[in-house]
Amino acid sequence: MSQSRILDLVKTQCRIFSLNFNPQRLRLGNKILRQRLRGPTLAAWYPKKTVSFRDLQNTYKPLGLTTFDEAEDDREEAIQIAKLRGKGRPKKKRTAAESRSAKKKK
Amino acid sequence: MSKVASMFHPKRLDLSGFVNTRLIRDHNKRNAFAQMEPERQALRYIIRNTSLPQRTRAQAQLQLSQMHCYTRPTQIKNRCVASGTARSVFRNFRLNRFQFRMQALAGELPGVKKASW
Repeated sequence: MSQSRILDLVKTQCRIFSLNFNPQRLRLGNKILRQRLRGPTLAAWYPKKTVSFRDLQNTYKPLGLTTFDEAEDDREEAIQIAKLRGKGRPKKKRTAAESRSAKKKK
Repeated sequence: MSKVASMFHPKRLDLSGFVNTRLIRDHNKRNAFAQMEPERQALRYIIRNTSLPQRTRAQAQLQLSQMHCYTRPTQIKNRCVASGTARSVFRNFRLNRFQFRMQALAGELPGVKKASW
């Protein structure tokens, strides 16, 4: 087979399989275009957020349904007890003047 | 493009399970890379294509090197999903060797059995 026949064959092959016909073997960077995108698989490494109890609460509250969260209940109770003992959180300072006076006391 | 990493922070954390700052940072890098990957690949194609004018290729090189470091795949590090550790993480289980051992001994990893012969 002659050289030109082989070239024609390769050209047809490239056309059929939608490959890049490059007999001079130039560096055209087509291997970059052939690569698959790795982003989606890399971004899926850590487990995504699923439905939490808080989400259920938020969806059912407007419908008038009450939910009971034991951990949240315990937390609020502990806060109430701390307040009674005078160990609650200090009141939030809203203005600059308030925060300044609070510092002076010390 | 500003060079602030906070532009890749999501408004609300979309992760469950173990979370710490370094893990969130890595997660943000992964999202940033996934978002900018087509652009990076396009620039890489221009750089590698020797049939394009030298000036265009140099410009593409500059543009690629000036992209935010969070969009670089080399910034991504596989961290343990259960403890956030970055060392000796099994890719197949996404777990650190110690977490892997604990979970395997507890029977939480299907098909994993302690070798004995």
